[in-house]
Amino acid sequence: MIKTTRRQFLKYGAVGAAIGATGFPSILRAAEPLKIGQVNASPAAEIGWAKQHALGIDAIKAEFGDKVAVTVIDNIFMPQDAERVFRELASAGNKLIFGTSFSLGTPMQKVAPRFPKVAFEHCSGIVHLPNLGTFEAKYYEGAYVAGAAAGYMSKAGKIGFVGGFPIPDIVGPANAILLGAQSVNPKATCNVVFLNSWYDPGKEKEAALALLSQGCDVVCGMTDTGTCVQVAGEKGAWSIGYASDLAKFAPEFHLTAFMMDWTSDYVRAAKGVADGTWKSEERWDGLKAGVVKLAPFNKKIPAEAQAKLVQLEADIGSGKVHPYAGEIKDQDGKVRVPAGAMLSDKDIRATNWLVAGMSGKLA
Amino acid sequence: MRFTIEQRPEPSAVMRVVAPVAAIALTLVVGAGLFAALGHNPVAMLDAFFIAPLNSLNGLSELLLKASPLILIACGLAVGFRANVWNIGAEGQLIMGAIAATGVGLFYPNPDSVLLLPLMFLAGMAAGMAWAAIPAFLRARMNTSEILVTLMLTYVATLFLSWLVHGPWRDPAGFNYPQTAMLPPYALFAPFDDAYRVNHSVFITAVAVVVMWIFTDRSFLGYKMAVAGAAPLAARYAGFRESAAIWIGLLAGGAAAGVAGMAEAAGPLGQLSPNVSPGYGFAAIIVAFVGRLNAFGIVLAGLLMSLLFLGGETVQVSLGLPSALTRVFQGVLLFFLLAADFFIFYRIRRVGGQN
Repeated sequence: MIKTTRRQFLKYGAVGAAIGATGFPSILRAAEPLKIGQVNASPAAEIGWAKQHALGIDAIKAEFGDKVAVTVIDNIFMPQDAERVFRELASAGNKLIFGTSFSLGTPMQKVAPRFPKVAFEHCSGIVHLPNLGTFEAKYYEGAYVAGAAAGYMSKAGKIGFVGGFPIPDIVGPANAILLGAQSVNPKATCNVVFLNSWYDPGKEKEAALALLSQGCDVVCGMTDTGTCVQVAGEKGAWSIGYASDLAKFAPEFHLTAFMMDWTSDYVRAAKGVADGTWKSEERWDGLKAGVVKLAPFNKKIPAEAQAKLVQLEADIGSGKVHPYAGEIKDQDGKVRVPAGAMLSDKDIRATNWLVAGMSGKLA
Repeated sequence: MRFTIEQRPEPSAVMRVVAPVAAIALTLVVGAGLFAALGHNPVAMLDAFFIAPLNSLNGLSELLLKASPLILIACGLAVGFRANVWNIGAEGQLIMGAIAATGVGLFYPNPDSVLLLPLMFLAGMAAGMAWAAIPAFLRARMNTSEILVTLMLTYVATLFLSWLVHGPWRDPAGFNYPQTAMLPPYALFAPFDDAYRVNHSVFITAVAVVVMWIFTDRSFLGYKMAVAGAAPLAARYAGFRESAAIWIGLLAGGAAAGVAGMAEAAGPLGQLSPNVSPGYGFAAIIVAFVGRLNAFGIVLAGLLMSLLFLGGETVQVSLGLPSALTRVFQGVLLFFLLAADFFIFYRIRRVGGQN
């Protein structure tokens, strides 16, 4: 038999009143941090794509402190494994889960409908669901400015480009680099090579050396390494960095880098989930929003040219200049964008052709 | 005082039982020491590694899903390994199986036919066997090393897959990204329950294990192949043809790998991208040897390898450990397992007092 003394009764009553007054859920909310997960296809790194996404997580931590608990899972490349990891994170109570590679898309699309109360954010994704949003950068805006810098500095007018994979997110910026260079030097050309790997410094070094021996005097690598910048620097050739500022690999010869800054995307998503206003969005930002940025220009670029580059950056940000404004022909001379027109957003995201002046194949 | 290593006249029956137990015990001790040295609670760590993944229906479903292709391929490979036929290219045969099966799934004129899945099964098996038939032919006719040919054909298969998904088979609605369209519903294995991923393809693996056991332990042909592997000259003297062992060994591995590729495409993947296999074809070689080329052992080894993999993920999710540390731990276990096996066939003996 349970006897309740008057004293106990009062005590429980007081606790009950306290809960009633402050509201039970808010007590829980204060006690339990918001759990956030991030899944990366590649290993953690000091520079490049993985680093920029790690900075996104750092920004969330800086903003929310101990109100969030973050779990980062690296090196999940295979879709079979990714699906399990996303499920596991969602079942473990993570309310916001980032996937940072295109290859994680299909697994996220399969997992998201099973966890309708979890917000999924897919970087470089193309499919949207009620609880699966995407964010992506307009790389080509930064690439165009960097290409213009190459146009000013290249004596040979020949750029070498090393791409990870021949996917639109890489082919598009490659085109933009050459278009930017041609805006300064109409005769500029570009040789492209694809590694079919994001991280293969040995193969990348060979590719960079081959491009240099073909007479290219500016090299850009869209991979997860600083190899192209380093090799070009050793050979006394200019270079353009990608993803992070890669100047430390060749301080003398690093012209600039088109960098990604995802911090606004990360913080926005976390804020949305924290206060219950998160919605599945399709965010695609560039220079204007600061998601794409340019690293400081090399001091050897003449002041006059630097001023023009800064102006170009501002004009692209404001929409006055569009990197893919016509007329643009492809490698085979076919007109892809007629004069006076612009490449549509959909076509930009599906680029699978190279502009006139490119040598190389998408393979 | 000196020590020598000498072969036991008979494989030790005691060590057969003691070796795996000792290996696991040593792994636990070394692993616990490693985790403790890095400042983690070893008990929590081992719990997360070995217990937590098995603690839920979903965990068991994932374990079977991961182990099924490993066991299936290892069974096929073991048939050849027993006869000293070294098929190192199951990865390539798996890829060809996945390609053929997906080809049928995507382009069969009637996507709502119940025949679709059986046809994909046959296509996957045939493609895996065809890919394995190349090294079989070269070895049987020209005595070319099947180790090199199977391995190099894996690269060919990878590049062929890459060409297909970048080119002719690219999803027209996929923004030019290198992947095929999703397979239609009738081209997919049904899961047992919508909440879990494990699907009916595990029955194929179960059948393969039984067939492999009957073939190796109960059939005359399997006996002939074992003799051919253990004593080629004796086998020839007895009139067993070496080329038969080569063909059967390679085709069995090719068929199993091809079906495993089909089951991946029609199971957890649902489409082709440049990467269809997380190295199942290579991991299955380890599974076959850890399982001592025996059907029952392969099942245990396949489950253990999958558990190690899942446990590695669990400690990352629940305890925030770096993936590199979990791989070190996985390596330690495999090292001890294979090293302990040494003592079944060899012993260390102290010899004399001289010197």
